[in-house]
Amino acid sequence: MTSVVLESVSKVFNAGRADEVTALTGVDLTVERGEFVTLIGPSGCGKSTLLRLVGDLIQPSTGTVTVAGKPAHTARADQEYGIAFQQAGLFEWRTVQRNVELPLELRGTGKRERRDRAREMLELVGLGDFAGHYPAQLSGGMQQRVAIARALAVHPPLLLMDEPFGALDEMTRERLQDELLRICASTGTSTIFVTHSIPEAVYLSDRVVVMSARPGRITEVVPIDLGPRGEATRQSPGFFTGITKVRRALRGDAVPAGATS
Amino acid sequence: MNRRGRLVLGALGAVVVGVLLWEGYKAVGPADGLSVAGARVLPRTDDAAMPHVMTILSRFGDPELSGGDPIWLVVLQACLFTLRSVALGFVLGGLVGLLLAVLMQRLRIVERGLLPYVILSQTVPLIALAPVIAGWGGRLSIGSYPWQPWMSVTVIAMYLAFFPVAVGMLRGLQSPAPIAEELMRSYAAGWWQTLVKLRLPASTPYLFPALRLAAAAAVVGAVVGEISTGTRGGVGRLVIEYSREATTDPAKVFTAMIGAAALGLAVAALIGFSEFLVRRRRVRA
Repeated sequence: MTSVVLESVSKVFNAGRADEVTALTGVDLTVERGEFVTLIGPSGCGKSTLLRLVGDLIQPSTGTVTVAGKPAHTARADQEYGIAFQQAGLFEWRTVQRNVELPLELRGTGKRERRDRAREMLELVGLGDFAGHYPAQLSGGMQQRVAIARALAVHPPLLLMDEPFGALDEMTRERLQDELLRICASTGTSTIFVTHSIPEAVYLSDRVVVMSARPGRITEVVPIDLGPRGEATRQSPGFFTGITKVRRALRGDAVPAGATS
Repeated sequence: MNRRGRLVLGALGAVVVGVLLWEGYKAVGPADGLSVAGARVLPRTDDAAMPHVMTILSRFGDPELSGGDPIWLVVLQACLFTLRSVALGFVLGGLVGLLLAVLMQRLRIVERGLLPYVILSQTVPLIALAPVIAGWGGRLSIGSYPWQPWMSVTVIAMYLAFFPVAVGMLRGLQSPAPIAEELMRSYAAGWWQTLVKLRLPASTPYLFPALRLAAAAAVVGAVVGEISTGTRGGVGRLVIEYSREATTDPAKVFTAMIGAAALGLAVAALIGFSEFLVRRRRVRA
């Protein structure tokens, strides 16, 4: 069962004008249900654009985007995905609890169910004690966890994340990576994750999609098979092999597996 | 010292400084003022031009005319009469301003088309506009209820009050970060939901400064409106009437001016208090 299918998708901004930019070209990508896929590449390679296309926040110039078996537009209307950005983007006038309730409110979920679901999500990200706080009273890492809880609140089958840990310190980042993997595993959520960090991509992913710029395109897809992740994974040879593979792919001098240099 | 204490002390200090400046200049300034090449650069300081503060204050206690009500009561009643126009003009103007802001936010083309006229509306001299509004009003009636002069004054107050709200709220409605708008879009939230859940709450920091300006503008509009339409009963009319007696009873006109200023302060304090209530509720909720 597929979660996301992109078929020969391209995106051109400001088409027909002097400042025309081809952000993406010839993108084919399939994400299976429950799969964790990371998009990595240099700035301007169109990874955020690709994520926004899947979320129907922008429309492709050519090609089709299918999410949960429906056109992306229908999937958005049905709230088939949750989204989290680099900035937490919490509403400062709402408490943590009411921030997490927001997508449920817009769905017309009843008050009691909203409250229970928000509580459950906040427990999941370890912020059960902070439901009554305002975003300004939380640290950056905690705000980001609230944003993740908010993205998960509608139990979406698909999670879209655009560098959600980009602004965090290394320790918080690693802890949140583990939390995210645990949550995705326990809820069976498919994830598309944009990052700049090679270790992060390798640690989180089932597959790392390597992209390059001008024009933005997919150059290689690196499968990662590390089994269940844990502290030991970050030290394992397989982890470093994965990092090397992705790094080479990013440089564009990919060496076929098993070849000697 | 606590915050409230400092606030009270500051307010009292400002009054004392004002009185000292007034009396100080009156003591040292030349009685006939100072003219350089025929242009007066310093005002006159004789009792007709600048009565002593105590004279003005004691004038509040004396009857308006011999045997009439004391001045403080007359001024207070006039202020309350004007307050009706101020309050109605403020509320209606605020609503019109909010509506315009929402329209301009909703449709870019409306913003482009309307904003110049909104700004233009404030550059038309009020003195020129007031008689026109009063003239139109004279030909109107609300159902069987004939148009009253104070309604023209209300319209003028409204005309001044809508502007800061329209401009401030437009800014406030446009203030959410693109990421917040994208988030609402990802929830498939419609225009109305985005307005209610995102834009309006995000605009409260812009709303209260705009309301303060609107309240001050409504007071100015009502007072000037009363003067230029010759509406009886309000504090604006009182300023005109009393200034005619400036030569014989110079302290009198200052009582009316202090009344008008106090009206402005009272309205501003009311806005400040409502802001305090809203902010407190937000912190508590």
